[in-house]
Amino acid sequence: MAAYHPETELVPYLRGGLSAEERSQVERHLEQCSQCRQSMESAGAMLSRIAHAVDEVRAPDWTQYRIELRRKMRAVEAGRVDAAGRWRLAGFGWPSIAMSAAAAAILGIAIMMHHGVGLPAPGVDQLQMPQEMSDADVGLLANYRVVEHLDLLENYDVIEHLDELAPGDRRNHETSS
Amino acid sequence: MAAPRFRGGLTQVERSDEELCRGIAEHDADAFEIMVDRHQARAYRLAYSMLGNEADARDVSQDAFIRLCEAAGKFDGRSRFSTWFYRILVNLCIDHQRRNRWWRRLAPLTSPGEDPDDRGYDPPSEEPGPEGDAMLSQSIGKLRPALDKLSPQQRAAVLLQTQEGFTSREIAAVLKCSENTARVHVHRGIMQLRKLLQND
Repeated sequence: MAAYHPETELVPYLRGGLSAEERSQVERHLEQCSQCRQSMESAGAMLSRIAHAVDEVRAPDWTQYRIELRRKMRAVEAGRVDAAGRWRLAGFGWPSIAMSAAAAAILGIAIMMHHGVGLPAPGVDQLQMPQEMSDADVGLLANYRVVEHLDLLENYDVIEHLDELAPGDRRNHETSS
Repeated sequence: MAAPRFRGGLTQVERSDEELCRGIAEHDADAFEIMVDRHQARAYRLAYSMLGNEADARDVSQDAFIRLCEAAGKFDGRSRFSTWFYRILVNLCIDHQRRNRWWRRLAPLTSPGEDPDDRGYDPPSEEPGPEGDAMLSQSIGKLRPALDKLSPQQRAAVLLQTQEGFTSREIAAVLKCSENTARVHVHRGIMQLRKLLQND
């Protein structure tokens, strides 16, 4: 008896689904293997039985079937339109949010620029420079020798009217102090 | 050559499935109607054979036509239209069964771990089988529970072979497997049915 049984080729053989080479191999095998011949007959009978059973499947009411199919198609179409509508809304929504955010940012910057709110505190060097400039404005450096002898807190009036002092007065002031 | 047919007083050459599919892709409602006319009975019958339930067969075969309508533009014509369409239908049937598996677990049809696809080599029986002409006279109703015990792939392969006359290559294209695997599905399906129906 042959060791190899071409079991999976038996149905295709019956149905004419094998190549010429496969077909001749199966035929040669079947000539010497009663087991496979029997198996093939059983398979053929089973296929006939299934085909017969399938043919007996009761058909539905095709008119009703088509009505249901059309209803489903409409529902699918409507769903697609809804989904597209939602998508359009979503698409409309994102730019709106972005534009609102941009507008809010611009407004905020404008307010800060107008009121100076939130600007960073100046560094030490930046504080020193205006102070030096105000010193120059009141002529303190030019009259340094006078200022040097003043108690700034007590003699603020003198400093304020320093320019009004005549050179002689300055000297007198120097000598008196 | 395509046979002419009369419709609305005009002679029309019958359009092939592939032409209709292209028409459906271009939103030709007539093409869709003709396609459904042509395939609804076979689609329903295959779905019924796969699922064993009229309502499910109706639902799933209708869903297959809806999918066909949605995916018609993707049909590239490299395979036969029927292979492509039955792949959609069989996949929907298998998905439907997977979704309802919890229900089947409540009343298992096979013993745990007894997956028909996991069985090894099954040599041909030495004993003469009870099959033959007498089998045809047996109750068709007995075949249904036996079909239900096959794996979805085996059932699809056997039904495509018997009902649609598909070749192993076409079954392989529908099930997305090799031709050899398709042959194994058919063989094991039939062997399983023989065993289950042996005592009938």
